[in-house]
Order: sequence, then structure tokens, then C-alpha cells
Amino acid sequence: MANKKQSGFGKWASSRKGQQVIICAAFAIIPLLLLLVFTYIPFGEMVKFSFYKMKYTTPVEKREFVGLKNYIDVFTRSDCFGALKLSLYYIVGALVQLVLALFLATLLSFRVKGGNLFKGLIFFPYLISGIAVGFIFKFFFTRGFVFDSILQLCGFNLDNLPYWLKDQSINNWTLVSTSVWRYLGQMMVLFIGAIMSVDAELYEAAELDGANKFQQFRYIILPSIKTIVTLNVILAITGSLSAFEQPFVITTGANGTGTYFIIMNKIAHTSQKVGLASAMAVVLLLIILICAGLQKLFFEYIFKDSSADDESYKAKKLRKKQEKDTRKYMKQMTASAKGGK
Amino acid sequence: MARGKTDVPSIAPIKEKRSLGYYVRGFLKYFVLVFFSLCAVVPLISCVTTAFKTADEYKATSVMTLPKSFLNFSNFVKAFTTANMGRAFINSVIVMICVLLVSVVIGTQLAYVLNRFKFPGNGFIRTLFLVASLLPAVAMQVTVYNIMGDLNFIDHLYGYIIMSCGTDVISIYIFIQFMENISVSLDESAIVDGASYWTIYWKIILPLLKPAIVTACILKGVVIYNEYYAANLYLISPEIKTMAISLYKFVGPMGSQYNLICAGVIISIIPALVVFICCQKQIYSGITQGAVKG
Amino acid sequence: MKTKRIACIAMAGLMAASLAGCGSGDDKTEATTEATKAATEATGSDSADDTTAAAADGIKSYADIQLGTDFTDLSAEIKFYNNRTDLDSDEYNGKNWKQYLEDFNKEYPNIKVDVITDTNYADDALTHLQSGNYETVMCIPAVDMADLSTYFMSFGDYDTMSQLVNYSNRWLYHGQVYGVPLTATTQGIVYNKKVFADAGVTDVPKTPEEFIAALKAIKEKNPDCIPLYTNYAAGWTMGAWDDYISITATGDATYKNQKLAHTKDPFKNYGDDTHAYAVYKILYDAVSQGLTEDDYATTDWESCKGMINNGEIGCMVLGSWAYPQMEAGGPNADDIGYIPFPISVNGKQYASSGADYCYGINVNASDDEKQAALVFVKWMTEKSGYAYNEDSLALVPGSESKIAFDGVDFVADEAALEGEEDYLNQLNSESELNVSNGGNDKIQAIIEHAANGDMSFDDIMAEWNQKWSDAQESLGIEANQE
Repeated sequence: MANKKQSGFGKWASSRKGQQVIICAAFAIIPLLLLLVFTYIPFGEMVKFSFYKMKYTTPVEKREFVGLKNYIDVFTRSDCFGALKLSLYYIVGALVQLVLALFLATLLSFRVKGGNLFKGLIFFPYLISGIAVGFIFKFFFTRGFVFDSILQLCGFNLDNLPYWLKDQSINNWTLVSTSVWRYLGQMMVLFIGAIMSVDAELYEAAELDGANKFQQFRYIILPSIKTIVTLNVILAITGSLSAFEQPFVITTGANGTGTYFIIMNKIAHTSQKVGLASAMAVVLLLIILICAGLQKLFFEYIFKDSSADDESYKAKKLRKKQEKDTRKYMKQMTASAKGGK
Repeated sequence: MARGKTDVPSIAPIKEKRSLGYYVRGFLKYFVLVFFSLCAVVPLISCVTTAFKTADEYKATSVMTLPKSFLNFSNFVKAFTTANMGRAFINSVIVMICVLLVSVVIGTQLAYVLNRFKFPGNGFIRTLFLVASLLPAVAMQVTVYNIMGDLNFIDHLYGYIIMSCGTDVISIYIFIQFMENISVSLDESAIVDGASYWTIYWKIILPLLKPAIVTACILKGVVIYNEYYAANLYLISPEIKTMAISLYKFVGPMGSQYNLICAGVIISIIPALVVFICCQKQIYSGITQGAVKG
Repeated sequence: MKTKRIACIAMAGLMAASLAGCGSGDDKTEATTEATKAATEATGSDSADDTTAAAADGIKSYADIQLGTDFTDLSAEIKFYNNRTDLDSDEYNGKNWKQYLEDFNKEYPNIKVDVITDTNYADDALTHLQSGNYETVMCIPAVDMADLSTYFMSFGDYDTMSQLVNYSNRWLYHGQVYGVPLTATTQGIVYNKKVFADAGVTDVPKTPEEFIAALKAIKEKNPDCIPLYTNYAAGWTMGAWDDYISITATGDATYKNQKLAHTKDPFKNYGDDTHAYAVYKILYDAVSQGLTEDDYATTDWESCKGMINNGEIGCMVLGSWAYPQMEAGGPNADDIGYIPFPISVNGKQYASSGADYCYGINVNASDDEKQAALVFVKWMTEKSGYAYNEDSLALVPGSESKIAFDGVDFVADEAALEGEEDYLNQLNSESELNVSNGGNDKIQAIIEHAANGDMSFDDIMAEWNQKWSDAQESLGIEANQE
């Protein structure tokens, strides 16, 4: 990789520092390029749209620059900003889902008979495509169909049951529940994976110290998987702000279920106010970023104390492990270092 | 699938005393699991019953009525042949393999440098990816389309694959999470032996990330397999359509043939399910073979 | 995007010739309707920079092409982009794209047509267009009239085209015709004759009162039957109500494209059971009096065909294209009938008729492709039988159609006045009411308010009037008291 002729560069490139720079650049360039081309360039274009009054098909020279008008509209129109209220439903749902997923993942990480079966079943809804989800739940919640029948079997009287999708006081909860249905298993598998990455020796150490299951969860599992939990909380809450697919496929956003993105989509495609819709997207992004920042701070605060407690186990484990690892890999590396370069 | 204790890895072989509390807890545990499993499966009833109905039967009966015969596989056959699901399946597999391969390689590489090197811009790159995952794809569809057009990526499988490879933040974070549990001392001792960073990545990190790779593949694989919006937009020719959009044959502006769609959905789920079940074992074997234990 | 403006250079010289026969067409003039979820329309009024004639050098115009003799050895490859995914399937209950193309290629073996269909057509078509990279022939989506010539070539001037194709004024701009309809529909009510007869309704209801009374009679006679099924959940079935507010409710062929934009408070109560107010009030009253389905949120478009066929539904407000589908929905085809909408203007009922999606030809295509596209469009319109097969009204003057009303004539909307072509589109966009332009949610809101009783009908109409007035004001469109 190093150019032998240019001795200065060659020297640098073969130095540790040089190698670090080269490997960082080589490993980061492709993902960053993809990110730039398919995410940030289109995003920049969208930001540009937000300052114009235009339709998608308006030829470039006919697009009218309107300054901040679209942004002012986002804040003054009742339907734009008001739609964010619906996100509260989804935030509650997302948090319930997160707790349930953590709970189930922890349960399934310990010894359970038929654990794979349960995992498979709970994960299963995640495999189903969006079109099918819309179809399935329209019927599931139709008056007197699947869900009502089940509740009737459980002793409920149909007359006392609400109209799940028609009643505006309940239909958003209904949609949220379908979202939990679909993504609970996915989150659970994610957490199981993360929990599995925790070294089993930690539990042994904890067990010896007389820690119970809850303590193990609180002081070993939770701190060890905090990166992924934090990320999921952030994604869950920001995902709630931008909830789109569930109402889109099940109610098409009608009947008081139009979330911010549904409204945005309608404004962009039905009324073709592309500038306003773009401004809505930008505003939401800013809100999301602020939320995400706050959450991150919050979590750093939460995990601060626990990581101290965790230290003793982790330190113990690491020391033991390092010794073992070093011995074991020493030989292998020597071999591959010679052969590999 | 449900082979019980044999292939269930326990994190810690903890021996409990067989007290009353033990049994109560055991009962509660299984009750909870059975409950959630049922919740997951029951909504699918309507889809299954519809898949076995004929078109006339569907129009004439309510969704809740059972089909006349559960042996009426004509919808499955029809859906499979009409929607050309065999071809679509191959396309889906090609897309999945390519996307997962590339995503895993560039995802693990990125996670490796992000986790192991503290260079200026490290945090910035993480933030870029996090922010990217928060950007509204719905709103950017049109501008992405123009870029795809400029690159001549539209209506080409490779174009769609490259677009889909953009690493998503979830898998990068999964990799980083696992990386945190891979001791730095491994790297250090290898460096002492004169190994290059590439060797460290290739010979140490990548094999140890195996369980993380499986998890990331499952999660990303499902998303790609089921992607219908972008796929419908960019895969136009019939011979390059994927599974998820092949079913659009039965959706017309004046109505949809739900019995065929349901049958198609069930067909499309089967391979995904099989892969998932197989990969579950992979996860566990990956872990027990001692990524972390060495 | 850059290529978009390349447009009509070769044809600039012929511009002037075509400005003759535009504006308010007289005998056969009409426009619009949206029978399917398709949206259509547009905005933008500045213009004057365009206008193209079809007959540029080397291209034989639509009117001059002799099918079967001209261009039978022309070799070209064109793409045709449309929304009819169902015709892609061998399972389609009728002639599918493959069969049409086989027939076409018997006469034109060297013109290869690649049919591309899309479930999400209305949105995706706009995406394709704006990228500058779009198909040779496509169904014209919701673009501004003023931008038509940026994207599509003219088929010829209106005087010529109107002789050849009905409803050719759907995409008429500055005297040039940019779209030829695939199909055309009329607006009425599809009903189950047996259900109506069993309830003692023998005379076809002609006014809103008679209609509501008929629905009530059905409900009394058979409580399990849904007198009027709204198809709320499908959405586009709701937007279809907008198609009844112009000719059907006013008897005026100029109402939609010439008057509506200038009307102050078009949704007000005219007091004589006409105009938009009367149309939407039928829906509101039917819902608030429990004459529609119990759970509107979960209506199912597929199931409604079987239900009306089996007498579980009394009637539905849908375009004529739906009529054959309801007949085919079950064993009782003879029970299904189609009647005009129950509004009478001065004692007379009207049925509006108009074009659905129209063929548009890519203005940036090569000459050969354009020529092949013209041949294909003309062949589809005149020879393929497509319109007849798809239950359209007659497209070629004098041709056959399956759809007919007894004693009610079809009237078509006249085109907008010159210079005002985009007024309605602009108002629709600005007010976001989207009348006859995918404004499904506003009609859905009528049902919601009627069912929940949380807003009176007059308040809803007042709100719409307010939006309409605000939009007129912000766009500077003059509004007149009628």
C-alpha cells in the first residue's frame, strides 16, 4: 500500500500513525460516500425546496422564491403543528414497547423451555410486509370480526365494546398497538443479541456475590447494553414524532389519525405544496434533533451512577480475560502478521 | 424449532432452589410468553383464511368465515405463477445477498475505525449517521429519484442495490456495541506482533463480530426483503421485480384481489421465516463458540 | 431536470397557426371527472411561452395518420406508463395489456411497446416527470396546464381533435390538445333494484328528499341492509362525490371550469336543493340518520361488490365505470342498476360526463418515437376496443358504449376560459380543498362530523367557503356573488 519511491510518504504510510490514518480513511470513505449521495445531497435539495413556492413539476425557472414564508406557515397553520400531538400516543406506545422488549429479552436470555419457539412467534410479525399489515388490521378491527370475536369469547358483550378504528377517542391507540405488535419482536431480538454479547463470566461473578436476577439485570445487563438501549430510546421517540406507516396503511390517515408525516405527505402530493411540505420536514428534523440531544444527555446522567457499580465486575472480568486472550492470540497473530502482510 | 433445553443457551447456569416461588415464577414466565406469542399470531388469522378462499367466496362471505376447504391451494399456485414469484424470489435473494454483504463489510469496517480510533471527526461521523436515520425518507423520495436518474441507476438491479447499501445506523451501533466487548488487549498484542490494522480487522475483529453480523443481517434483511416503496419506484421492468412488489400485480386502481395477495404474502413469508429460524441457531452457536470467551 | 426545457424547438414556427380554435368550445366540450383514485389537475397561470403543433417536420399528426396503412413498417421502441396494474395480469377479467399489444403488433410488427404499470401511479408519475427522464407515452398526471408543453407534445388543435375524439378538451391549453382520453365516465348512483323494489321504492328518486326517504324505507323494510354504503376507508371513493357538484347539481356545463373559481361561497345553501351544498348534504344527512354502514372506518371496497350484488347494500355513489363491476360481483347481475344522481335543476336531471386519465406523449422523445407513440395512441383509441372493454363512454364520435341512462343526457364540462386554465388548480392547491382533485379527506370529514355530531353541516360548508374565499383572495382571483 505504501509507495516505496516517495520515501517520506512511504515512511509515514508504514508508520503506525500513517497506517491509522490510511485505515480510517479507507474504511470510512465508502459508507460516507453513500451517505452523502443518497441522504445528504437529497436533504440539501429538500431544504432548498422549502424556500420556494412550487410543485414538483414546476419548471425550475418558474419556481417562486418565498423566503421563510413556508416556515411561518408551518407554525401558524393549525393542522401542521397540531398533528404533532398525535405523536404522544406513539411515544407512549414506543416506551411500552421498549420496556416489554427488554423484559421479554431478559426472560428469554435465561433458560427457557421452548425459548426459540417463543422468540420466533413474537418476532414473526416483523417479517410481514406493510401492505399485508394494512390489510390484516383493517379486518382485525372491523366491527364483529376477529378482535371483537375474541373479546366476546372472553366474556365481553359486543354492545359494550368500542369501534376500534371509528371511535376517535380510541383509534390512535389502536394504531399504536399495531405498531407495537409489528416491532416488539424486532426490538426484542436486538436486545437479546446485545445481552448475548455480555460475558457470561459477569453473571457468575455476580452470582457469587449473591446478586438476584433483578440486580443482575440492573447492574450487569442494563449497563452493558446501554449503547444499544439508548439508541433505541432515541429512535423510538424520534420515530414516534415521524410516525407514518401504520396510519398510512391502515386508515390512510383519515378519521383523526393523520400524523405529522401523513399531513405532510398529503400537502406534498395532493395539494402539491412542495415548499410547505419540505419546510415541515425540516422543522420536524430540528425538533427531533433537539429531542435526541436532550435524551442523550438524560441517559448519560442515568447511567453515570450505575457504571461505577459495574466497574468491579467489569474490571475483574477484563483482567482475567485479557490474560487469557493475550496468550491465546499471541501465537496466531504472529503467524498471520507474517503471512498476511 | 422448539427443541427446548438442548439448544437454548443460558447466559449463566444458575441453579435455583425448587421452592414454591420458583414454580410460581416459572408459571408466570411461561404465561407471559404464551400470551405474547398468541398476540403475535392471532391477527394473522384473517390473512390465512382469505388465502384459501376463491374470489367468489371472498366476495360472498365475511372475512371471519372459514374457507370451504383448507386444501384449496389454487390461490397459492395462481399467485406464484401470475406474479412470477419464482423470478421475484431470485431477485430478492440477489438483492439481499449483495446488500447484506456490502453493508456488513462497510458497516463493520466503519464500526471498527469508529470504535478503535479516536480521530478528529469521529463523533461527527457518528452524528452524521444518527441524524441520517432521523431524516424523513418520505419527504426526500423525489430528490433521491433525481440523483438515481443522474447516476442512471433507475430500473437496474445494481442501482437499487447500491442505493440500499447505505449503511443504517442500527447495524453500525450493533457492531459498536459488540466491539465494546471485544478486548482492546487483543488488538494491542497483535500490534506488538507487527500485525497491520487490516489484519487486525480481518483476522480478529470480523470473526469475533459474527453474532453481531447475524443479528444485523436479520434485521436489515427483513427490511430489504419487505421494502415496497423504493423498490416499486426503482425496479420497473417485470424481470427485475422483487418479492414484495410482485404482489402489486393484484392491486389495481379499481380494486385488489385480496385472496391472491394473502396467498402471496404467505408465500413470501415462508423463506424469511425459514432463514430466521436457521439463523437463530447461528446466533447461539456464534456466541457459544466463544466470541468473547476466546 | 435540465433536459426538461429543451422542448418544442423544431416546432416553434408552427405556433401561430394553432391559436385559432381555443377557449370556450361549443358543441362537444367537456372535461374531467376522476373515476379512479387518480388525481388530476394542476395550477399556474402564466403562459404564453409555449404552444406546439404536432405536425412538425417529419411527423405526421394524429389526425393525418391512416391506421393500418401508414407507418406499418416503422421501427421504434416506446414505453407506455400507466396505472392499470390489474391489466398486467393474466388473471385480469377482460383483455389485458399483453393481448392489446399482440393485436397492435399484428399491424405494426416493428413498433415495440413496453407497458409499465404502477400501483402508486399518481405520485410516481409526477416524480418521473420532474426528473426529466420519463416514458414516451404516459397517463398525464396532475401537472399545471401552463406546464403541459414543457412535458408533452400537442396532438393538434382543438378544432381538429374534437372531431376525432370526445372529451379531448381535458388537457386543452391555448387551443392545443395535449391529452387523448383512455376512458370517460358519467356520474350517477349504482343501486340494487330488488332492494329498492322490496322497500316499495318504485320511482327513481329525483330529489334529495326522495332519495333520503327511499333510504329510510330500505332501512325500515330490512334493518340488516345498508341503504347507502359510503366506502369511506378506500378514500378515493369519497373524493368521487366532488364530481357531482358541477353539471349534476347545477345543470351548467360551464360551472366547473369557468364559474366555480369565480364563485364567492360556492358551498353555501342555495335553498333549492341544488349546487354543492345539496350534494354533500345528502351524505351528511344519510350518515347522521344512520342510513349508512355502522362502522365506516373499516369499509372494504372489494367486499362491497359482493354485498350490493347480494342485496346487503342498497346503493353507492360511484362513477359509471363501477356499474359492470357490481354486476360481476355475484350471481345477481340483473338486480344491479344505474340511475342519475337525485338532484333536479328546475325539474330536470343532468348527468355529467368527462375524461379520466389521458394519453400524453413525451415532447422530448425522438421523432420516430413520437410518430410511433401517435400511431399507438390512435390505434388504442380507435381500433383496440379498449374504451369499450373498460366500460367507458363512447370516445370516438358515433362509437358504441355499454353505458346509457334512460331519458337522461350526458353533458360534459366545458373547458376553462383562456388565461384562466389554471385557476381551479391554483385554488384547489391553495385552499387544499382539492375539489375533483383527490380531496378525499374533506369528504371523509363530513362523515366523521355527521357520525360524531360534533359539527353541523352548515358549519362545515361555512369553513369550506372560508378556505375558498381566502384562497381566492391570496391568489387575486376575482370572486362574484352569484
